[in-house]
Amino acid sequence: MRQPTLGGSPWLAALLAAIATTLLAAPASAQLPVPSEEAYASFELNCKSCHTIGGGKLTGPDLKGVLERRSREWLVEFILHPKAVIDSGDAYAQEMFREARGVYMPDPVGMTPEMAGKLLDVVAVESSLEKSRFAGLQLSDRPLTEADVARGRRLFRGEESFASGAPACFSCHTLAGAGGFGGGTLGPDLTAVSARLEGRKGLAAWLSAPPSAVMAPVYRVAPLDGEEVLALTAFLEDTAASGAEVAEDGSLAFLLSGLGLAALVLVLLDVVWRGRYVATRAPLVRKRLVARRALEARS
Amino acid sequence: MDVRSQTALVFHLDKCIGCHTCSIACKNIWTDRKGTEYMWWNNVETKPGTGYPTKWEDQEHYKGGWELHDGKLRLKSTGRGRIIPNIFHNPSMPAMDDYYEPWTYKYDELFNAPEGDDQPTARPVSMVTGEPIDIEAGPNWDDDLGGSPVYAENDPNLDELTPELRQQMFEIERMAFFYLPRICNHCLNPSCVASCPSGALYKRGEDGVVLLNQERCRAWRSCVSACPYKKTYYNWSTGKSEKCILCFPRLESGQAPACFHSCVGRIRYLGNVLYDADKLVECASRPDLELVDAQREMILDPHDPAVVEAAKANGVPDSIIESAQLSPVYRFVKEWKLALPLHVEFRTFPMLFYVPPLMPVIANKDAGPVRNETEDLFSDIERARVPIRYLARLFAAGNEGKVRAALRKQYAVRLWRRHVTVGDVDEETARRALTEAECSPEEADAIYRLTALASMDERCVVPPAQREMAVEVLDDPLSFKQSTGFGFRAAPARGQ
Repeated sequence: MRQPTLGGSPWLAALLAAIATTLLAAPASAQLPVPSEEAYASFELNCKSCHTIGGGKLTGPDLKGVLERRSREWLVEFILHPKAVIDSGDAYAQEMFREARGVYMPDPVGMTPEMAGKLLDVVAVESSLEKSRFAGLQLSDRPLTEADVARGRRLFRGEESFASGAPACFSCHTLAGAGGFGGGTLGPDLTAVSARLEGRKGLAAWLSAPPSAVMAPVYRVAPLDGEEVLALTAFLEDTAASGAEVAEDGSLAFLLSGLGLAALVLVLLDVVWRGRYVATRAPLVRKRLVARRALEARS
Repeated sequence: MDVRSQTALVFHLDKCIGCHTCSIACKNIWTDRKGTEYMWWNNVETKPGTGYPTKWEDQEHYKGGWELHDGKLRLKSTGRGRIIPNIFHNPSMPAMDDYYEPWTYKYDELFNAPEGDDQPTARPVSMVTGEPIDIEAGPNWDDDLGGSPVYAENDPNLDELTPELRQQMFEIERMAFFYLPRICNHCLNPSCVASCPSGALYKRGEDGVVLLNQERCRAWRSCVSACPYKKTYYNWSTGKSEKCILCFPRLESGQAPACFHSCVGRIRYLGNVLYDADKLVECASRPDLELVDAQREMILDPHDPAVVEAAKANGVPDSIIESAQLSPVYRFVKEWKLALPLHVEFRTFPMLFYVPPLMPVIANKDAGPVRNETEDLFSDIERARVPIRYLARLFAAGNEGKVRAALRKQYAVRLWRRHVTVGDVDEETARRALTEAECSPEEADAIYRLTALASMDERCVVPPAQREMAVEVLDDPLSFKQSTGFGFRAAPARGQ
């Protein structure tokens, strides 16, 4: 038999828990509002892939102490309409845009001024911590070795899987010296990517959290780990150092190989079905015509 | 003993003049519909020749009939190992060019052409596409050895002849040929029936006529490749296969099939024989040289009381047994051993038998004008222009003795009748020939009578159809009795 008790209602229990949490947390940081779980989730979803809090620049700037750099109103406006603010010619926004190498911050879907405020609360709270949970991936500064280059090459070509199960670079990108018929052509050629992203730091930032519309959703759920990022960085820098501009054009080799393979398959079919029907009467007539022509040529 | 009745046929090749009347009679009745223009359920071939469709006898090419595999009978065309990789493309299917592309002429151009310097001509047009065509082949393109360097020289039956014999056959002034009319053999062991994946083909119980159910046919065309005689045809218009039905509507009303009825040379004989179906598998598995005897062994003597009793016990009606006792086929095949099956090595046991033709002997033109080496044109069967070995390949699976016996008996009958009616052959010679051919004067007279004098009713003893009994199984005939008579073709309109 069920007893209708107070604790029986989950909704009520959650409400009580939220009130209790608020009351308990309030004395610890008196000036700072406590952001909700919802705000944290939103930061995870929308911001984390391009921004760290105290972890250094990724594609977007490090957000630690951003509230001290810009006003809350400016920041809310930027979060809601990043492209509009950048394009309006705002000096600070322009500078950030340049630092991001011309990557616009995407307009967050379903963003409201209230949520933007809550996100800024998250940033404020996390900035005040010694080490934020959004400090991002910490890459070691160790020198890159030949072994890193070799491993990077294997990772790039998919010979070694990423620990997270993320797809290999090779499936969408190619570069000089990729081998075989080259890699995929969906993404850009990566031969000179190290120069485009201005070296190790830029490369590592991109690889830690790829921001492009195609890569972001894939690598957000299966990010690369620090050692993998380092290895790939080493490989890409090594490729750029070789001096090549773009990957060799493998399309002719691909075409010829395709034709060769098709011919091989036809030959195989011919062998397998060598007992098949071929014309009966026409060859008899042809044979006779050849014989007669030979006879006429002789006389 | 499982005694059954089979409607069997004999074609007497010594009498065939190659007029194609049979083919035309058949074509006009059965195959002048769209999609059947190329079919000749009855066709007449010139031998030596490649026939219709081209080289149909070459089973290495067309994979028809049965073969012995570890002593067991097996279809040459299909088997699980062969059919599955080829399920969407049968590699042994004859194409249209192997038959021929049927055509007609634009006759109206003869009448409607504008006046000009030249005679108007009727252009040939394909009956398949309707487009003008260049005629390259026809169903009897090599008639009377026409185009023999292409056709006759490639006759598969010539393969075993020595080069000298081959050359001799095609020498000018020595050439010889004969005609081979062909229809469906309504085989005892039909490979077309065995090959059909849809079960559309069946051998009719009461008379052994092989029929193809148009409603069950699913256009697999397995029968086309499996029939070694290439006597099932695919109708490209209806998408069903068709074959000779031995004019069963005529048979059921007591008439001979159209090709029999129209035969000018009266070469065709029809009658039922009783056979023992239990022996079929064992007989069809014998070595090639024994097959003629094996088939004869299956055919039972309808006068033997034991056979009659077994037939009755098996439900064969008395009228059918009586008809078998009158059958000319039984006499030609079993009693006289004159008629032989065509290509019995295909192991389908064809129930159409041929009396091999007596051919003129070799002539010699070395010294001046052509002269025959002997006075009597048909004297020496060993020196006939068409070698016995060739005939043996056609009619006895290579067993020359069977052909020689049949020819010798025909020759003896000629001598005997020459002695009786003309008198220029003395009795001693005639009797010696009969003895050599193991034939009595009475038998010779009987052969002469059935060969030369027999009436239509003697040549074609159509077994009385038992359709009324078959109908009673399904329907009550009396229920129709009251519904026939006067009536309206269209319902009358009243009360308007």
